[in-house]
Amino acid sequence: MKLFIFIILFIISAKGITWAQNTIEVFPSASYDRFIIFQTLALFWIGIIGCVIIIKMKLREIERTQKMGIYKEEKTIPLLD
Amino acid sequence: MNRQRLRRWFEERYDLTEIGRLAGSKLVPSHRYEIWYYTGGIALFLFVLQFITGMVLALYYVPHFEYAYKSIADIVTKLNMGWFFRSLHHWGAQLAIAALFVHLFSALLLKSYRKPREFLWLSGFILLVISIFFGLSGYLLLWDERAFAAVKVATGGAGNLPVAGHCIKAFLRGGIDVTGETLTRFYAFHVSILPLATLFLIGIHVLLVQYHGLSVPVSLEGKSRREIPFFPNLFLKDLMIWLIMLGIVVTLATLLPPEIGKIADPLAPAPENIKPEWYFLFLFQTLKLFPGEIFGLNGETVAILLISCGICFFFLIPFFDRKSAHGQRSPFFTWIGIFYTLYFIVMTFIGFLS
Amino acid sequence: MKIDYSCVTRRTFLNTLLGGWILAFGSGTLYALCKFAFPTLGKEPDFVILKASDYLEIPVNSVKPFAWGGKLGLFFKNTKGDTFALKGVCTHMECNITYKPEAMKFYCACHKGWFDETGRNIEGPPPKPLEFFDSAIEGEKLVISRKGVKIEPPKA
Repeated sequence: MKLFIFIILFIISAKGITWAQNTIEVFPSASYDRFIIFQTLALFWIGIIGCVIIIKMKLREIERTQKMGIYKEEKTIPLLD
Repeated sequence: MNRQRLRRWFEERYDLTEIGRLAGSKLVPSHRYEIWYYTGGIALFLFVLQFITGMVLALYYVPHFEYAYKSIADIVTKLNMGWFFRSLHHWGAQLAIAALFVHLFSALLLKSYRKPREFLWLSGFILLVISIFFGLSGYLLLWDERAFAAVKVATGGAGNLPVAGHCIKAFLRGGIDVTGETLTRFYAFHVSILPLATLFLIGIHVLLVQYHGLSVPVSLEGKSRREIPFFPNLFLKDLMIWLIMLGIVVTLATLLPPEIGKIADPLAPAPENIKPEWYFLFLFQTLKLFPGEIFGLNGETVAILLISCGICFFFLIPFFDRKSAHGQRSPFFTWIGIFYTLYFIVMTFIGFLS
Repeated sequence: MKIDYSCVTRRTFLNTLLGGWILAFGSGTLYALCKFAFPTLGKEPDFVILKASDYLEIPVNSVKPFAWGGKLGLFFKNTKGDTFALKGVCTHMECNITYKPEAMKFYCACHKGWFDETGRNIEGPPPKPLEFFDSAIEGEKLVISRKGVKIEPPKA
């Protein structure tokens, strides 16, 4: 009897009362998986922010040259050796 | 050196410098309302995202009422990243429709619909209607009890339209009831008919934007203003916004994956507290305003007739607004625009909270 | 016979002929397409036959569902022990209804519609009362039929 009550309590606490019916897990439940997912999400955002910053730099450069009235890079531009 | 050769190969066949000059000569007005120009780009980006995620989901989905639910359960629980791409498709759809509504109301309030851009307005509006139907048909593909009840109510509502109502209802349902036939039909709509129509209309819409150029609000017309080149300036800005949008959709998809309810059962009672998707809430709330009977007529029919009139007026607003067509200010239509916008927002919120 | 002049020029005639022809041909083709795309409509059944022992024994103040074609039918036994058969579909938006034994009423969860034991729409948006069926017991069989429909159950 005690075991029975324990099992029922466990089921209720594990799934929450409202979702007591057999619903499908829409998110991986293992904490290891979850950790990897959140880590990947953070990395993804770092990638996006990096991209945005680089594009912003590029945009500034373009606007700077446009203000100078130059729309094309010179072909014979001297490079530092 | 291979790059040089490849370039020459193309230059012998296509006039690349001319194409580059054309792209470079496209100018975009820059003023204090320019932020609203980005909403269209956001919607376009989200559509592309929907196409891609939809294609990969279609690799696994089985459009049959006995297997549909199970195949989605398998996508979510068994496949690599399946839960993520389903969630991404869900959130992409929500945000795409939200972006479309913002785009629509901004076009309405800035009067971008006025002469000569009437067809832009019409094609955009039809795209919104298609997107909503995309949402409804995609919702049923899940084949859980909420989707089942929602589609029953939505197609039943179409059945209340005068004259052609019953025809439309039967056509949508593929029979007199929502059954497995409806699922097959909605699958066909969702993956073949609507995407093709969308591609066609987006093509027209974007082409017309290129043809007419971007609209400038009446209040700023004629004044001298700055113009910036579309390529690369605006394109790079668009790209930044798209990247951030991608981040937002991915974050939402990860943190809030949508639930899957119990499998649909035609003989089960309707689930408690069903609510339509948020973009139907304003209609749902409007229907609630009407009593069951008005002057001996069915209240529902009267309500749907009135709503249809309201939407028709909205659809044809460029042809009613004569003043702004001549480039004059038309405060009356600004008020109408504000009314429509506020009505939509308020009703959606009331529906959301109640 | 030769006429001096004609109401239409050769060009208009040909244009009208071509346009009309294309229109007729196109609409014929489109008609065939629509005919295919439009579903053949089924019909609600006039009667269904159930096993009597499954249904007559249900407890008082409860319902048991059965399939009325593709729709939900409910076999209902009220508190006095009388039995009824009815269509379990709300008259408002066609959602499936459920019976609430504690309130002794039928309830539609979609838009919160209520019907009393006799199927009258008493609260909420439903515009019409529920549809009740005739039920008859013939030996082992429970025959549920639409009201006013004469049926001759197949001999089997």
